[in-house]
Amino acid sequence: MKANFNEIFEGQAFVLGNNVANDGDLMALSFALARETDPDVLKAHIFAGIDRSLALRIKPNDIVIAGKRFGHGNPHIQGFLGLRGAGIGLLTESIPSSSYRLAINAGVPILPSCPNICSLAQTGDHLRVDFNTGEIKNLTTGAKARHAPPPAHVQKIIASGGWHQMFRIRLEASGLG
Amino acid sequence: MNQTITEKILSNSVGHRVNVGDLIFPIPELVTIHDWYVANMDKALEEFGVSQLFMPENIVFVTDHEPVAVSPAAAERQKKVREIASKYKIEHFFDVGRGGHGHIFPVELGMIRPGMFVEGYDTHVTNFGAVGCLAFAVLTEVSELVALGSVWQIVPETVRIDVTGKLPKGVTIRDAAQKLLRVLDPEVIDDTVVEFGGDAISSLSIDARFTLCNTPTEIGARSSIVEPDQRVVDYLAPRTGHRINLLKSDERAKYKHRITFNLSDCEPQVAAPPRPDNVVEISVVAGTPIDHAYIGSCASGLLDDLEVAANILNKRTLHPRVRLFITPGTQEIFQQALERGFIEVFIKAGAVVTQPGCGVCAGGRVGPVAPGEISIGTGTRNDPGRLGSMDADLYIAGPSVVAASATMGVITDPRFLGDPK
Repeated sequence: MKANFNEIFEGQAFVLGNNVANDGDLMALSFALARETDPDVLKAHIFAGIDRSLALRIKPNDIVIAGKRFGHGNPHIQGFLGLRGAGIGLLTESIPSSSYRLAINAGVPILPSCPNICSLAQTGDHLRVDFNTGEIKNLTTGAKARHAPPPAHVQKIIASGGWHQMFRIRLEASGLG
Repeated sequence: MNQTITEKILSNSVGHRVNVGDLIFPIPELVTIHDWYVANMDKALEEFGVSQLFMPENIVFVTDHEPVAVSPAAAERQKKVREIASKYKIEHFFDVGRGGHGHIFPVELGMIRPGMFVEGYDTHVTNFGAVGCLAFAVLTEVSELVALGSVWQIVPETVRIDVTGKLPKGVTIRDAAQKLLRVLDPEVIDDTVVEFGGDAISSLSIDARFTLCNTPTEIGARSSIVEPDQRVVDYLAPRTGHRINLLKSDERAKYKHRITFNLSDCEPQVAAPPRPDNVVEISVVAGTPIDHAYIGSCASGLLDDLEVAANILNKRTLHPRVRLFITPGTQEIFQQALERGFIEVFIKAGAVVTQPGCGVCAGGRVGPVAPGEISIGTGTRNDPGRLGSMDADLYIAGPSVVAASATMGVITDPRFLGDPK
């Protein structure tokens, strides 16, 4: 799959609460058990456990804002591949490290540690987020925030499209690929 | 200086001083991969056109998830694992009946030592912290790891637990480990290394240290490690020709969080469905009828655990409704349990003793539960479906609670068990 990562996202905010689970809330477990890994298939099923209409309403370049412990639970990658397929950017107050690694491996642009981010916007607000610098602006209210972006190498993985692409780049660089 | 053990091990691994938050590519001295992932790894490697591995002499294949193939598909998988081991020239291949549980036997064989950095395909590879080795789980990226020798890691923060006191009678180290899952905040523990030290560590056996290092991963710890001491030297000296270097944290090392944990305050603990951190005091669930029981796993399949179970099951029999499966962690543990008479006790009580490895805990491929049944066991996780049916209630406890419950037919506090009839 071609990398589609643009560092600056401008789109609608979708604000979720704390403790959105990986299995069930973000993606039905059945897709993990079926080992489905096509982002274009999975994007139609994101957040089905919370609100089935979300997958229809969320458009590429929109920003999903989540509270604490986003994607907690068993480390299945399907939900994050769905987010990648949907073309969204992700801001979380906190995310368990295993799920953070899944988001990176799936190629989802993310700012993983944004305390109180849920109070910066309401669903429907228009946002601009620079995932490279960590700058966030609510274009509807004028509110601003800045949170640490991932380290440079992690940004490179996300920009390349995720783990598969980065593994190939490393293989080629080592002369083994 | 002022470094934690973790920072020292990772600094040694990359050849320069590292700090918390640094992104590094440490090369592990050993990589362990279990029988249920070898074929997936091979498929990924083929997709990427990789035909040769980075230092195959440092890769260990372990057949522990399904050592006794009970279906044609499982037998085919085992055949495939043998072919893949041969294809990549894996010397450390522990096939059926050879090693046992891959999170335990490499320590018995002296392959794991204090100060080592190890990675493995499984979240419970953290067990190696029992002897002061730092071990990280690597999942999807394990193909990249075996092909190129490393994957990125961010140097983690450390949470220090100073262990004090002594376990009361009838309380096991698993009860203490489960209690920690209740008292520690997952938000604080996430992605940290949990370092165990303090006055009481020297009194804890290597077996007990395995258990302590096994469970913090359930609330998001990257790994766990016990500050190694003379007991580790005494244990490993006859098992390895290598020099044993007792790497410890500096006195002024920086911790994210530090707590004192008193073993004397522990009571039997039970994790109720549906998660291993849903831990309650035993009084909350005592009396719940059970159908199925299990003693084993990388958390509690050690000789100490079998001894606890044998002491309770001696001169007792199982409740008529209950079936109990017991899985010694490794071939060595099985042999010692045999020599010390534990296996005879289990057989006379009516229990089933299985081939060493993960036992029932690996998805219930042997001795699963049926819909509507209730199980109590010493496995690592109790998510629905972990031991077979999605519609069974799974409780987790230490070996004394499980053995006592198996004889009584209900969840039972072993401290209140009467004399055998």
